[in-house]
Amino acid sequence: MEQLINDLKQQIKEVLNLEELSLEDFDADAPLFADEGIGLDSIDVLEIIVLLEKQYGIRLANPKEGKAIFKSVRTIAEYVQANRKK
Amino acid sequence: MANVIVAGYGIICAIGNDASAVLKSLKEGQTGIGPMRYLQSSHKELPVGEVKLSNEEMKQMLGLDKEAIISRTALMGAIAIRQALEHAQLTLKGKRVVVISGTTVGGMDMTERYFKGPSAELEEALRKHDCGSSTRQMANLAGLVDAEVCTVSTACSSAVNAIILGSEMLKRGEADIVIAGGTEALSMFHLNGFNSLMILDKAQCRPFDKTRTGLNLGEGAAFLVLTHTLVKSKELRVKNNSNNLERKSSSNPSLFTLHSSVYIRGYANRCDAFHQTASSENGEGAFLAMTDALKMAGLRPEDISYINAHGTGTPNNDASESEAIRRVFADNIPPVSSTKGFTGHTTSASGAIETVICILALQNNFLPANLGWKEQDEACITPLGNEELRMKNEEFATARNILCNSFGFGGNDSAVVIGKSSLPDFSSKEQPLLKRRGQEAFSPSLNLKSFPSGEDLGEATTCVLGEAVIDDVEQLGELREFVTAGEARRMGKLMKAATITSMRALRQAGVERPDAIITATAYGMLETSERFLTDMVENGEEMLSPTLFMQSTHNTIGSALAIRLKCHGYNITYSQGADSFRWALRDAKRLIETGKAKTVLVGQHDEATPMMQHFCRLMGCPVPPMLYSRSIVLSRKT
Repeated sequence: MEQLINDLKQQIKEVLNLEELSLEDFDADAPLFADEGIGLDSIDVLEIIVLLEKQYGIRLANPKEGKAIFKSVRTIAEYVQANRKK
Repeated sequence: MANVIVAGYGIICAIGNDASAVLKSLKEGQTGIGPMRYLQSSHKELPVGEVKLSNEEMKQMLGLDKEAIISRTALMGAIAIRQALEHAQLTLKGKRVVVISGTTVGGMDMTERYFKGPSAELEEALRKHDCGSSTRQMANLAGLVDAEVCTVSTACSSAVNAIILGSEMLKRGEADIVIAGGTEALSMFHLNGFNSLMILDKAQCRPFDKTRTGLNLGEGAAFLVLTHTLVKSKELRVKNNSNNLERKSSSNPSLFTLHSSVYIRGYANRCDAFHQTASSENGEGAFLAMTDALKMAGLRPEDISYINAHGTGTPNNDASESEAIRRVFADNIPPVSSTKGFTGHTTSASGAIETVICILALQNNFLPANLGWKEQDEACITPLGNEELRMKNEEFATARNILCNSFGFGGNDSAVVIGKSSLPDFSSKEQPLLKRRGQEAFSPSLNLKSFPSGEDLGEATTCVLGEAVIDDVEQLGELREFVTAGEARRMGKLMKAATITSMRALRQAGVERPDAIITATAYGMLETSERFLTDMVENGEEMLSPTLFMQSTHNTIGSALAIRLKCHGYNITYSQGADSFRWALRDAKRLIETGKAKTVLVGQHDEATPMMQHFCRLMGCPVPPMLYSRSIVLSRKT
């Protein structure tokens, strides 16, 4: 699980171009979309959906489904663990 | 000030290849949306509103070699323009004729087809890839070789902004006849782009319905022949008395008898300044566009008999537009429908296609239905249901004014009011400003040398308050002075350069927020567009990046600046090759001289890629620089 969390942090940082966010500061429990958290937005949701499909073979048809899944890196990791196809 | 009159129009879209066919489909409630037939995409699950003609059939209609590499955008546009000219029957000889087209896709359909080669075909496609070249070619195909051409590219509101620009030019005496509208072919590029944004419905779209989940893309072209009442005189009267046209349009003679009485009464271009791909909850941009268009027309909300809504069918647009309509019309909301259930969302062409639909409605006393609507959504207005149409149509016979909404990515929101009656006619004292130029050569080059220098701007009415230029990626270091790391992370080099030069020019001018933002760009953010295209062609039509796509529209820079500066004022993007900046400057001067803006931020922003430079060398064109961004702040000379 920890390995998956670290992989996801690296992948999210890369695909969303979060240059100034160090992996050490990237808290796995920090809210991704609230202002006080990482501060991502609706376009980032779409990019993470593409990422999940590319890396883990998971297809999410509706971005709204993603709300609970995309709370934090940890919730994404849990979802990936349970649903990954590769 | 002269009135702007619609002397003729042409239309081709999913529900018909000319105005008579479109009228018939509208009256019969017949949609043009269906399974994909002509577009070579793997996403066959997505319904589309295609024009029911192959490229070869269109080339045949235009008398062209069927092997010629010509974009569907130019083909449809040329067909619509020819129809419009035939309809108007005006003498063009000796007149200053300007063609203004709204498009974003341009020649993308051919570029994506030949992107992997063969090389000769790709070169031919690239020559006519950019919006400006595509418009020039379209005008030539329509026989308007001597006309000046201009392309407006504000994503899905492009065509209405083309009509607005044309009307302004006529009112100012800058042209005698303007052919304004828009054209957009379906391409794999934007079908996949919209798909990556997850806003396409896999069933037929249902604007304003509670169960709506997105839009269906469509394609088509529509153009209006606009002139002002000052030159209508003999020619139009002769036309109205002739039997000629009525015979030609035997399927519906009434279509062609009243057209000279339709006027462009009012319009407004405003910016939501909220988000690159979403509309604000209170629909501020849409509210301002509708309010100001009514104001210009001298009308109250209750004078409007029908609203043709933008109504794309996405949850966000329809709720936001509904809120804006409620804010403008309160308890007096007239019948509203979105006709995108007929045509699909024809993106850059939609404003012209829907304006023509409004004219057909006004001339033939009928209200177009809102196909697909069944269930009320509390967040939305109630559009016209089929059962109400008959009753409403009787009331509608006395209608005089229609409002047509057209909104685009980046919050480029515009609205136009057309009417049967005219405003008082004042005779124009203004001198023509336009000199006709020869035909421009096709060239992908940016031709920086032809940009006006600072001295050219020092004219009688305007002055430059601030100016900044960046022409090297090494100069992007000061970006962080103006934006946060979070904001910078999605910016390509051109967006960074445009942001820096704009902020520096404004700072030098001592202007916090300009009244208007005008952007000139031949190719837009080419680097990101090319990455999206390469990914799509090489790796297939799956898992494409929405971030890359949303930056591919030419208005991305202008709308990003509006969002940064919270500028809700006039916002437009010109994409006419090396002439883009000239058009932008002319517009800025027009705004300042007519008192519509005190300060205007004008920018020329273009970038090249190694691939583009490679092809320029191959084709013997001047090689454009990797980066060029110039911003100026203009104001009235005191």
